[in-house]
Amino acid sequence: MDQKIAPHLEELTRALGDLEKTGIREEFEKLIAFRVPPDVAKESILRKFGRNRVLKVKDLSANLRNLELTVRILDLGEKSIRPQEGSPEGPSKLYTGVLADETGSVLFSSWKELPGSIGDVINVKNAYIRIWQNRINLSIGKQSLVSKVSDSVLPPLAELSGSQIKKLIDIGHADFAVDAIVCVLQFSHREVLVKRRQTRVISGVLADETGRLPFTAWIELPGIDIGSIIRIKGAQIRIFRGMPSVNILSSTKVSLVVAEEARKLAFTFESAAKDPIPIKIEEIDSKDSIFDVAAVGNVVSVRPGSGIITRCPECSRVIQKGNCRVHGKVEGIRDMRIKAVLDDGTGSMSVMIPRDLVEIIYGKTLEEAEQLMFSDVSKDVVYEDLRRFLTGRYFAVRGNSSKGEYGISFVAEKAWVPDDDLEVRVVELLRRLGPAEEDEQDRDSQVSSGGIELA
Amino acid sequence: MLKREVAKRVFAMEFEACRELEKSVRSDPGTIDSKSPNLLISPLGLIINRVFVVGVVTELDNIGTQSEMWKARIVDPTGAFTVYAGQYQPEASIFFSTVKVPAFIALTGKARIYEPEPGSVFVSIRAEEVNVVNEDIRNRWVVDTAEQTVKRLEVFSDALASEYHGEKLREYLLENGVSSELVEGISIMLDQELAPYEFTKLLRASIREGLKTLDFNLEDDTGAKADQKEFVLELLREMGGSKGADYAAFISAAISRGISEQVVEEVIRALLAGGQCYEPKIGIIRLVG
Repeated sequence: MDQKIAPHLEELTRALGDLEKTGIREEFEKLIAFRVPPDVAKESILRKFGRNRVLKVKDLSANLRNLELTVRILDLGEKSIRPQEGSPEGPSKLYTGVLADETGSVLFSSWKELPGSIGDVINVKNAYIRIWQNRINLSIGKQSLVSKVSDSVLPPLAELSGSQIKKLIDIGHADFAVDAIVCVLQFSHREVLVKRRQTRVISGVLADETGRLPFTAWIELPGIDIGSIIRIKGAQIRIFRGMPSVNILSSTKVSLVVAEEARKLAFTFESAAKDPIPIKIEEIDSKDSIFDVAAVGNVVSVRPGSGIITRCPECSRVIQKGNCRVHGKVEGIRDMRIKAVLDDGTGSMSVMIPRDLVEIIYGKTLEEAEQLMFSDVSKDVVYEDLRRFLTGRYFAVRGNSSKGEYGISFVAEKAWVPDDDLEVRVVELLRRLGPAEEDEQDRDSQVSSGGIELA
Repeated sequence: MLKREVAKRVFAMEFEACRELEKSVRSDPGTIDSKSPNLLISPLGLIINRVFVVGVVTELDNIGTQSEMWKARIVDPTGAFTVYAGQYQPEASIFFSTVKVPAFIALTGKARIYEPEPGSVFVSIRAEEVNVVNEDIRNRWVVDTAEQTVKRLEVFSDALASEYHGEKLREYLLENGVSSELVEGISIMLDQELAPYEFTKLLRASIREGLKTLDFNLEDDTGAKADQKEFVLELLREMGGSKGADYAAFISAAISRGISEQVVEEVIRALLAGGQCYEPKIGIIRLVG
């Protein structure tokens, strides 16, 4: 037997390095013990552990595995985990904290003790990513290899742990504390329940020349209102439903930017408050999430689940046949929505359009759609009607995007049929294509005098 | 992560010239398994799995022997797409069994390639979603597709002019903001040393002509207007027969195929004025001859 598996082990060692230390050999032998043919076992081990991809913190995303990182330990703590009752294993320790490189920082949890303490630089191989409390978490498991490396490869601790000044578009899952100069677009007080106590908070929207983000302030902000240009130092970034939000806490410093300095900024209140210009879906795809963004594309598919749906009156979940997953048998409430795939040729995203927008686009109210539903034997009649109505058409949407397991999901707050000046675009295209004949120029100038008739 | 494939905008001429993208030449052969999508690559390096096409359906046949299999021809300004819909595309099949030729349609589908023997290649689309649209959407699709194609043409000729190869070319293109997928496609095409000079020339000329027909449409009586006239005539011939067609029914039939009432009225008026048709009774239109 051993003779048979020896060459496979050799090959695995060449591909993955030390097998003993990482427990890969153990795993391999487990497969062999289950009578998995050695070459098949080798394949599945290679698939599982594969070649490590060397990444920077900012490139981390959900469901990555086999990754390699070189990071500095910013924070490190340990928790004792009591074994489950009846488990043969003794108590174990979980190490958690924050790791960072020059591109950002990331939470981690490790089942192994790290070969270093706060401030040290380590190299981690065979790590993977889990989502924990809406955030990316780097998991260091039993198969991971962790080694201490030279201190000089990364910027010093002080530089990595201080909050960095960021443009709003660059704030993402890898940020914990940031500084920013922004303008306040929306500002309102509201009451929230925190640990069963009514607490007054301020929430609103911040903007700079690159984008917008929601914010929540847990402290009073005297002298600040819509239109103020402010400097924020040490704000905390929290992730809510995939969207970063700027949290202003008592440790955060907020000050008004004086008019003289504000003039040097790349934005003013007027420019920041303008409606967002539609961007390519490709660009939306390049970010984990974008707050308040617009895009234009064709509806290439209207997904099942569009049309009239029934929701649970307690939790608003979509329910089937009067049964809520959580609340059991309930008297459902009818609602209408569209789930459509919008595609502009550079990317595609799943767009959720709520009832009020559906009524405008579709030109039928929920009540009218219900009548349509009752008038037909097919229960999908509204869905079918929406498909006929929407498929292939151009739509513009404005709202929030976030990336999940199945690509971009986009919640529309506005949706409309975009106008377009085809004439200008055609003239520009003909210019880019270059002249073919001598009379090209003449024709171009004629074209610009006519208007496009939209049939 | 199972991500939805993007529906590429591509003209029939470029689509027809696509070849299969062999799994062995893809940049990350390690990650390819049975779930990897089938890909085509165009002479300009566009990597295609799904396409979105808006054009005129000009031919429609049920070629199935035992079960339904629809074959449709969809024409754009540069050529024609061949589209299939069979029993595994029930919605598209139902659509094709009811649509009247000609009509403007929008279609999403998967690119397929069939190579029965070396040298004979059939590129087609397997329909996923189809719908009747209006001419406005068709025109806009032509302009969108022209923009994306011209961008590719520019990147491609830039890549050729740079005279870089391999890794250097990749870096150069990425630095210039070209998407990594197109960079991969271009370097694959350039590695094969099949630089399609002649093809790019033809494609440019064809797009130019296509855009101009759009323009004439805006201008006046020739070009796409003539197409519309042709379209309305065709419809009238089909509906009217020797007895003539009911005007109201004719208008609604035209609208259902994406031609606005205004345009139909205009064309009919022109036809009446030109003596190509007449009103034997009020409300009935009949073609001459």
